[in-house]
Amino acid sequence: MEKTKKEGISMIELTDVHKIYKTEFYEVHALNGVTMKIREGEFVAIMGPSGSGKSTLLNMIGCLDKPTTGEVIINGVETSRLSDRQLTELRRDSIGFIFQQYNLIPTLTVLENVELPMIFRGLSERKRRAMELLKLVGIGELRDRKPNEISGGQQQRVAIARALANDPPILLCDEPTGNLDTKSGRDVMKIISRLNEEKSVTVVLVTHDPALSDYTDRVVRIRDGRVE
Amino acid sequence: MYPELARRNLERAKTRSILAVVGIIIGVMAVASIGIFGNSMQKSVLERFEDIADTIIVNPKQSKGFTEIEEDDIELIRKIENTEYVVPAKDEKEIVSFKDRKTYSTIYGISEDDLEKLYEVYEGGIKLKGSVVVGYSLAEDLDLRVGNRITIAGSEFRIAGILEEEGTSFAVNPDNAVFLSVDDFDKLFDKDYSMVVVKAESLDYIDSIASSIDSIVNKREEKVEVMKLESILETIEDALSTMNNFLIAIAAVSLLVAGVSILNIMLMSTVERTKEIGVMRAIGAYRETILKIFLMEALILGVVGSVAGAVLSIAGGFAIVSMMGLTTKYILDISTALYIAEGFAVGVFTAVASGLYPAWKASKLEPIEALRYE
Ligand SMILES: Nc1ncnc2c1ncn2[C@@H]1O[C@H](COP(=O)(O)OP(=O)(O)OP(=O)(O)O)[C@@H](O)[C@H]1O
Ligand SMILES: [Mg+2]
Repeated sequence: MEKTKKEGISMIELTDVHKIYKTEFYEVHALNGVTMKIREGEFVAIMGPSGSGKSTLLNMIGCLDKPTTGEVIINGVETSRLSDRQLTELRRDSIGFIFQQYNLIPTLTVLENVELPMIFRGLSERKRRAMELLKLVGIGELRDRKPNEISGGQQQRVAIARALANDPPILLCDEPTGNLDTKSGRDVMKIISRLNEEKSVTVVLVTHDPALSDYTDRVVRIRDGRVE
Repeated sequence: MYPELARRNLERAKTRSILAVVGIIIGVMAVASIGIFGNSMQKSVLERFEDIADTIIVNPKQSKGFTEIEEDDIELIRKIENTEYVVPAKDEKEIVSFKDRKTYSTIYGISEDDLEKLYEVYEGGIKLKGSVVVGYSLAEDLDLRVGNRITIAGSEFRIAGILEEEGTSFAVNPDNAVFLSVDDFDKLFDKDYSMVVVKAESLDYIDSIASSIDSIVNKREEKVEVMKLESILETIEDALSTMNNFLIAIAAVSLLVAGVSILNIMLMSTVERTKEIGVMRAIGAYRETILKIFLMEALILGVVGSVAGAVLSIAGGFAIVSMMGLTTKYILDISTALYIAEGFAVGVFTAVASGLYPAWKASKLEPIEALRYE
């Protein structure tokens, strides 16, 4: 298992990625030439002090933001060549996001939140698949609740189910357990690591919690926008 | 799904959505009710004039120095085909007095048979052999009864009849007039015929009769002026519809206000929902999808408000029309539907147009910046 991961094809590839935030008065060099490779089926943790550029890095991988210079290659595709529409499709079909603040749509029910990426993709048979995913994360019975009617841990499970809706090869998690108690956090991590093991989803996890590195194959340490 | 999502977003900000809808309702009501009112007014004014539309009035061409119409020309006019009647009349202004009351009125010289063709009698009968017939308002002003004797230019005449009140009329308004036989008229005044009233067998012949008169009588010299009452009607119709459009335009200002309020609440809602927009963009919504959702919200506001406004505008139209003292019988006329449809269309258009900018703004948000928004 370990071996196949190390030799597997690269799923995420960054070459000399710089990100400079320019404001009126100063420039922030959030990323200073990050080069890294993550293979298919790998579970990678990104760790580092606050402000070191972890979230910025994850946003580059997730095609939510564009590098100032450098290239991000996802699943063999050079993302700098893609139009906004194509980037949207890449996020929709190839990347699942799990955020610290869950980020569910408050007007939609649990089931509808999970359906949403499939609606954007124009899939039919959405309800059945959404229900399967809710059962997978263990909250099938909450399908008709609204996000504000369930706990944080439950919301994060909905977010995981939503991230999996279009069966993406990559899962990006920015401090997914950051707002959860130890027990809920552990449950969420178990679900994510099971997905990685059973479905060989590539997982990139940003975290402050050293204990989470137990679940991962490898830890990438970031300091001042550079890989240590 | 998107319409449902839009609906729930509107429900989330209920008070705001209701206010926006109320704005649209008021705007649509104003536009449509005023349209209905104008339509009713136009219809009832035209109805009043309808039965005179097939009439042609021939007058001497005063700008060319003619003050009278020659009897030979009248004979020529009588020979024109498809006329129902040709009535020549003389007229003069003179003081009419009864007891100690006096008034200045128009004195017509006309044959008894012709007068019968033109007007209905209210009291007495139409007899002009040594007697006269007077108009309704004149009778009222001077407190005249059938059998009273009035004095015109020194001669006394017995009143044989009083005519029905005519109200508005273009040819000869009889309400404030005295009708004499041509013989009696000639004894008092030395004047030739000053007008000929020609009624066509039907509206279809108006143009051919008018052009016949013109070509026969005005062959050598432009002696007479031919006036089709139909064309006056058209002028009135034009004026009324111009006025109506003007009123609708004023009413449309209220829709403008509604539009601004929709613009405002939708801008608020794009700001409030920035993070949500970011999330949707992150998990695979195109810019167009965001645009669509917001436009859908504007469309729902517009349609709901416009439907309610359109329905209520019937009541609104009824209120204005009856307040203005017009007949309400045209309110349920099919022509009213046009104004309701107009109000509806303008309402929906306003809402969607106002939603365009906020929707565009929402769709332009960069995913990462929207996501980071707190
Ligand atoms: N939109 C922005 N404009 C300006 N500076 C920014 C912006 N986003 C991030 N930065 C800066 O870039 C640097 C890296 O930020 P980033 O959010 O990636 O850090 P992080 O490692 O995720 O920190 P944390 O652990 O606290 O979440 C920080 O100095 C931050 O202030
Ligand atoms: Mg961060």
